[in-house]
Formats: sequence, structure tokens, C-alpha cells
Amino acid sequence: MILRPVQMTDLPALLDLVQRAGPGFTTLPANEERLTHRVRWAQRTFAGQVERADADYLFVLEDDDQQVVGVSALIGAVGLREPWYNYRVGLTVSSSPDLGIQRQIPTLFLNNEMTGQSEICSLFLRHDQRYGSNGRLLSLGRLLFVAEFPQLFGDKLIAELRGSADEHGCSPFWDSLGRHFFKMDFSHADHLSGLGSKAFIAELMPRQPLYTCLLTEQAQAVIGKPHPNTEPALKILTAEGFAHKGYIDIFDAGPVIEAPVSRIRAVRDSQSLVLAIGTPDDQAPVWLIHNRRLENCRITTARARLVGNSLVVDRLTAKRLQLQPGSSVRAVLMRNQQQQAVAA
Amino acid sequence: MLVLRPVELTDLPQLQQLARDSLVGVTSLPDDTERLREKILDSCASFEKDVQGQGPENYFFVLENLTTRRLVGCSEVLATAGFGEPFYSLRNRHFTSASRELNIEHGVPALSLCQDLSGHSLLRGFHIDSALERTPFSELLSRARLLFIAAHPARFAEAVITEIVGYSDEQGQSPFWDALGKHFFDLPYVEAERLCGLQSRTFLAELMPQYPIYVPMLSQAAQDCIGRIHPDGQEAFDILEREGFETNSYIDLFDGGPTLYARTSSIRSIAQSQAGTVQTGSPIDARGSYLVSNDSLKDYRAIVAELDYSAGQPIALSAEMCAALNVTDASAIRLIAL
Repeated sequence: MILRPVQMTDLPALLDLVQRAGPGFTTLPANEERLTHRVRWAQRTFAGQVERADADYLFVLEDDDQQVVGVSALIGAVGLREPWYNYRVGLTVSSSPDLGIQRQIPTLFLNNEMTGQSEICSLFLRHDQRYGSNGRLLSLGRLLFVAEFPQLFGDKLIAELRGSADEHGCSPFWDSLGRHFFKMDFSHADHLSGLGSKAFIAELMPRQPLYTCLLTEQAQAVIGKPHPNTEPALKILTAEGFAHKGYIDIFDAGPVIEAPVSRIRAVRDSQSLVLAIGTPDDQAPVWLIHNRRLENCRITTARARLVGNSLVVDRLTAKRLQLQPGSSVRAVLMRNQQQQAVAA
Repeated sequence: MLVLRPVELTDLPQLQQLARDSLVGVTSLPDDTERLREKILDSCASFEKDVQGQGPENYFFVLENLTTRRLVGCSEVLATAGFGEPFYSLRNRHFTSASRELNIEHGVPALSLCQDLSGHSLLRGFHIDSALERTPFSELLSRARLLFIAAHPARFAEAVITEIVGYSDEQGQSPFWDALGKHFFDLPYVEAERLCGLQSRTFLAELMPQYPIYVPMLSQAAQDCIGRIHPDGQEAFDILEREGFETNSYIDLFDGGPTLYARTSSIRSIAQSQAGTVQTGSPIDARGSYLVSNDSLKDYRAIVAELDYSAGQPIALSAEMCAALNVTDASAIRLIAL
């Protein structure tokens, strides 16, 4: 398996993937025209032809038979072309010591505070490929890419996790809030959002803070709660240092998790090493390895042994990375040592 | 005969009985001896005061049965709502949600805490014995305040408002309060209104939400209470509506009851009341019912009377009427048809 930049020839495979993902996968709608546009844009991004504000690093996960089985993306910066909105869950206190009243009311503040930060998004892995390190490669590969090219990204990476919705795709948060301002159901709004109208929709929302006590109980209950489907992604990113700091999606109240780039484990612990070919045994730890290229980026996972400044991998791994022995790579252990110790 | 006059300290025991019977939500009438005593003294001082303009004065009137010496109602007018402290209301306005790109535009009503009504004169504390509801005497109790304003315009603002008690059920539950105020106070509606009467209303208002409340987010029961009148508040509303008061976008922040507003100069009992002089000793060929006041300040009196009135002519009053109004031959009086 390798993670590499998307190419125009991936389009049919990509369309197939997106169709499998279903309507919940709004950032990559199953629309050939829009998909073509996004792929073209991603190619220009990897070629270094676009500004950070427009950068869209779209990766695909490809197996050794050149079959595309997954997709994930990294956005250079959010909010620099059109406003990027979130709610921050803050607090209002209604207090009168004389009357013995002390009410704490969580309050939603609309903000653009994530402007200029980079976003990881659009991750989907084919169901039949959800084993081994595939999911981690698809997700963490992006972090290693950021480690290699920090100047292309913001100070923080963020991820908007899908919020709670029922089996029909209805969001209790939307029903209690957004619906009143748009007069449309969640799936329609979500669809428009995926088509790039998110800022337009956001502009229909009230600017003033909102008291959560006025939302339905169901809506209050899902604030900052990720959709069960996103639990694996959340777990992986939490282990990397991502945390929920109170920002949520304005539509479905899903959590926005964030991490300063310099504190992300895969960034902080990554090292530049020299590639060597050998036979790492079955006890060797699994590494995430990047060939340090931008346009011809290849990232893969492999068992490898660290010998001095060299990372010893098997021949197939070097081939996947399109590298010769002696080349420089950026690599990080797939899991941090503590986790491995626990696993052992 | 029933006469309306300024309250006196000796009225305290009877007034407390009235307060006990009054509707929850008529917060200016607390069932609390000390507070009532303060209110009476404050009113007495207001009537005594030589004022050049409108200030914090509160004029408190009682309706007395001259035969039984029993008080059967009371009403007040505060010269300046929000004098020295803000007067809060909720303003109900549309927030327009529009997107040219999406071709969407619609309004969402939102309630915002405001002080827009500060500075207006405020009619309040209207309470009448239930036996006298929907009689000329409830008109007297309410509108004599307007005749008082007509006689002493410098003491009042250019606009007059009143807050009509909003809906609550027989158990004293206010759906509007339950959906809004309760979150910020964690008190039952009745208790909140009681505190309002005892403490300053502003004090509580300042605990209320400072950001807009979007109406569709409230429960349907609460939405239905916006501008809805408590059945017992209907008469107070009807009387003033006939006077030319209108509802506008303001509602009470606790119970959602409507606020009525009128320009002082266009209130019917003020604009159309006639000044005249008393004629005693003439028989009265009664042709209509009138509210009659004596235009005084601290000796203010008003009654309901059957009169034979012609514009520009002296007004014949009976000896009983003269006694009730504390007037004699050639005294100046003011009247308006019922």
C-alpha cells in the first residue's frame, strides 16, 4: 500500500469510492464534474502552482496492484478565500448571590477563529480494506507529509468530525437550530455545503451567541459528540495529540479537533533517516515512511529497523517509495513507544 | 358612591387585602406590608412634590366606596419608567436570513432584551374587586389616571405604556417563563414575580439573556404566549385599547404579555376630555355617563356620574357628586364620556 497524490487517471476509481461512501461523505460529493475539478486542483497543488489559501492535497491509497482503495485530503488553509465558521462552546453565567441564583449556561459563539489553519478531511477507506495499517497510513500519512513541508501549512491542523445523526441522516442539532434559519432539512443543507456553499449557508446563521438551554434536549446532548462512525478516526488522531478545545461544526455540532503542528506526535517524533535495504525481521516495529518528495510523494508503512542513522527496510518497501538505498526519508514509528509497550 | 382618590397611609390594611387578591404578574402590588407602606409613602410624597418635569414619581390611586369605606380597587401611574434604573422589555423583531447566492430569504423572529421603553410614563398596578369587573367603575379606575395626566401634563412623558399581564395557567405555570426565564433563574414563575414585587424588577431583568432569543427555538406553548393576555388581564387591555393604545413589538420579559403604547396627546381621555366649571343647585336631566375629575393634585378625585352636559356650558352636579369630588360652585372640573 502507498499513499500518493491523486492523478487524473484515478478519476473512475475515485468516483467508485465516493459512491461507496454514500451521501454522508459531503466533502467529496459523487459528482463527476466536481470531482474532476478537485483532482485537477490537487495536481496543481502538488505541483506547487497554487497559494496556500487554495491548496488541496488530495491523496489516494493504492495497493500493489495499482488499485485505489482509499482517499484522504489535507487543505492548506481554511477560511482565507471565504469565511470559515465554527461555534465555540463558551459559558454564560446568570448569577445573583442575594437570590441564591447561579446558573451556568453553555453558550455558542459564532467565530472564524480557525481561519488560516490547515484541515485534514475527506477520508474514506473501502470497507474490505479496513485491516492492518491501512487506516493509519491513510490518516497519519498526511501528518508525516506536514512534518516534511511545514511551511506549506498553518500552525495548527484541525479536523471536523461528523456529528451525531440518526439512522435517516437527521441531525438533532440541525433540527433544533439550523433548520429555523434555512427552512431546509439537514441532508439538503449538507449537500449544498459539500458543493461548496458552506459559507453561504453559514451566512444565514445568526451572528449573536446562542444559549444552548434553548435547544432541544436531544440537540444539547449531541454538542461536541462525534458520529459513532468517526470513533476510529477520533481515536487515531487523539493518540497523535489532537484534542477537542470546544469548537464545533455549525451544522451538526460535531467536534472540531485540533493540534498545534509542532506537538503532533507524527510530526514531532519524525526523523530524517537514510534508507537502507536489508531484511528487517518480523519483530521489527512498523514505521510510517515518506520519500520526502512533494509532487512525487510516496508514503508507506513497513517493518523497519533503525540502525544508527539508517532505516533498514526490505526491497519492496524501497520500491513502493520509488527510492534507492542511500536516499533520505522522513520516518516515524507508526505507534508511539508507549502504545507499543502496552500492546506488547 | 365610588370615588377614586390618592392612597393614604391609613389605607394600608385594606390595600394589603387587595394585594392578596391580585393576580400574580401584577408585580407592582406586592403582598408585603413593608413594601406596601413604602409604596404608599412614596406616592404621598409624589403628590406633595412640586415638580417641574417628570421624575421618579409614582401616583397611586385607590377606589373607595364612600358608604362602606371599603377599598374596591387600586391603580398607579409611574411618571417615568426606568428612572434611575433601566426599564427592560423584550423586543420582538425579525432577523432576516438572506443569501443571494442560494436565493434564500426569510425572516426569523427574535426577542432581544432592550431598554427602549425607558422614559415613558407607565400605567400599572390595576386591580379591581371582581364584582366590579366590566362595570363603569373599572373604566373609572383605569381612565381616571389618564384624566390625571391630562390635568398635569408636565408631570408625564410624551408617551404612555402599560404591560398587560401575560398568560399563566390556573396552577400559576407560565409556558413562556418555563421556556425562557426559568433557564436563567431556576425559579418558578410565581416565585420570580413575587421577587419582582419585593425587589427591583431591574435586578432580575439583569439576569436575563443579553443575546437575542430566536422564537422558533422556543417551545410551541411558549411561542403561543408571545403577546398573549391572561384572561384576567383582558379588561385592562380592552379599556386601554379603546383609549387608542396599541400593541407593538414589545413584550414582557417574564411572561410574554403584550406592552401597550400610546402617544400621550392622542390618548382619547386626554385628547377629548373637556374642562368645565361646576354648577350646583340645578336639577340634572341625565343624558349620559361620564368620568368626572377635579383636576387637583393631592386632592385629586374622580367619579362616574350621569350628567346633562353641553360643551361650553357650566356642568350641573348633585350635592353628593360635589362632596365626592370635593368641589363647590364654579370649581374647575374635567370630564369625558364613558
